[in-house]
Amino acid sequence: MPKFKKLHVGEILSNRELAEGHYLMSMALPAAFPEAAPGQFVLVRAKDRAFPFLGRPLGIYVQEKGKGESRIEILYRVVGRGSGVFALLKKGDRVDILGPLGQGFRPVRGRDRIVLVAGGIGIAPLAPLVRRLRQKRPAGATLDLYYGARRADLLIGLGALRKACSTIRIATDDGSRGFKGPVTGLFAGDLKHYPPERTVIYACGPHAMLKKMSELLERLPIPCQVSVEERMACGVGACLGCVIEAKGAGKPYKRVCKEGPVFDLNEIVWR
Amino acid sequence: MSRIKPRMEVSIGKLKLQNPVMTASGTFGYGEEYAPYVDLNRLGAVIVKGISLEPRAGNPPPRIMETEGGMLNAIGLENVGVSVFIREKLPFLRNCSFPVIVNIFGESLDEYKRVAEILGQAKGVHALEVNISCPNVEKGGLVFGCDPDLCYEMTRAIKTVTDLPVIVKLTPNVTDIAALAVCCEAGGADAVSLINTLKGMSVDIEKRVPHLNRVTGGLSGPVVKPVALRMVWEVVKKVSIPVIGIGGIMTAEDALAFLIVGARAVQVGTANFINPRATMDILKGIEAYLIRHGMRDVNDIIGSLKESVE
Repeated sequence: MPKFKKLHVGEILSNRELAEGHYLMSMALPAAFPEAAPGQFVLVRAKDRAFPFLGRPLGIYVQEKGKGESRIEILYRVVGRGSGVFALLKKGDRVDILGPLGQGFRPVRGRDRIVLVAGGIGIAPLAPLVRRLRQKRPAGATLDLYYGARRADLLIGLGALRKACSTIRIATDDGSRGFKGPVTGLFAGDLKHYPPERTVIYACGPHAMLKKMSELLERLPIPCQVSVEERMACGVGACLGCVIEAKGAGKPYKRVCKEGPVFDLNEIVWR
Repeated sequence: MSRIKPRMEVSIGKLKLQNPVMTASGTFGYGEEYAPYVDLNRLGAVIVKGISLEPRAGNPPPRIMETEGGMLNAIGLENVGVSVFIREKLPFLRNCSFPVIVNIFGESLDEYKRVAEILGQAKGVHALEVNISCPNVEKGGLVFGCDPDLCYEMTRAIKTVTDLPVIVKLTPNVTDIAALAVCCEAGGADAVSLINTLKGMSVDIEKRVPHLNRVTGGLSGPVVKPVALRMVWEVVKKVSIPVIGIGGIMTAEDALAFLIVGARAVQVGTANFINPRATMDILKGIEAYLIRHGMRDVNDIIGSLKESVE
């Protein structure tokens, strides 16, 4: 029934380990699979397996639409049993895909200093945003990426990122490349070079990293959008399982699957 | 073999449902969230997320955790409160063709009565489902649904403030669920629905903390089906009012098992998270089964369990 949305069946084309524990899954989807905005996600569930029971929310890293079929790539990290099952999927295996879901990153007009801050696997939803911003940015706008990882060998997709970004500055926890320390430490040092009225920031990474960003930007009127994650069940806003604590008038919790996963940095209560 | 579509209508007291497939409270929001996925007007009924007198924010995250064959939830009964529900959520539901059944709860008998009374007067509400798995804060947190006297009192009290059909939703976290169902029937319940979730827990062994912020939560999904089915079977034997089956129903086969042991209708909950069109698949599957077995009416299968293999 074309009238109603439904699960789409994805067929795995490839599933490669790019760096330790980090995989790139490519799958074919029916042509009817809608185009996703950067920052939107899909709920992925391996077909014909009892575990994992619930789908996992994963960002769309690459999307290509051809005649008669669609292809998406998902960059993910193995963090537990569920993602461990994804790592075992092979060419020909099938997955159920619900989506695209959620609110993606929003363009902010009139900003010519565009900053992206990625921590670890946080690069996954930012990479499609980088490509979109490169196409659509105002003339003369700069795209500066700050990308941190635990070690140099865990940095992913640098080649493509270098082509799209004006500058890339790297941070590694162990100092194996670039700045030694968290990416927020690296960014903090450059912050004074960004005039607040010309700058917009997009960030994604561990909760601690985003909390640090909120501290760094506390007194600065720089718009900053972040993509967060939370365990999910329904993915469509019905079950209220995936909430994050939010500030301001109205309800204290917002749904990561419906109002998010992209939020304004200062919409969220960072604990 | 006749390919005539079987009759799917069932009645729950005064309530007439076009088919026995309903959605469970808390899994389908206020209806709108799944509207892009499912033709809502094909459902037997939608049971709306539990409503209380005042809005409730719900629990801090993490609120859910997957288990083998299911999940735990500690949502905390987040809801917009009865006034906002009537003003903002009911209008959409009024335009739907199925009966709107509102799940209600409170922290005291008075609160339950108050919500029931307000909803009884609201246009577009066809029945109430009473969640008695809540702790009674006036009696030191004793769960209403675990006490036979409270079950009886609660049901009777609600029946005095509204003419709407009253379905009491029972908790399985008791020694003898059928005894509690009998109390609800004595109090005037038009039907009972069971089971609500089973109380459970999960632990992160690396961080050595519970996975849920509130430590314990309700278990749902395929893993609970055998318990739910057994409890429905037990209750059907002890009450004359209709019994609605809930618990791990993912497929038509699951739903049919509940109908066969005597459930008049079923509720589909967690399955919606795995397949948003689960209710439609279940409906189609029940019809196909009836056709395959030459049955003209879904009521022919309700309670048709043969208890002996002889």
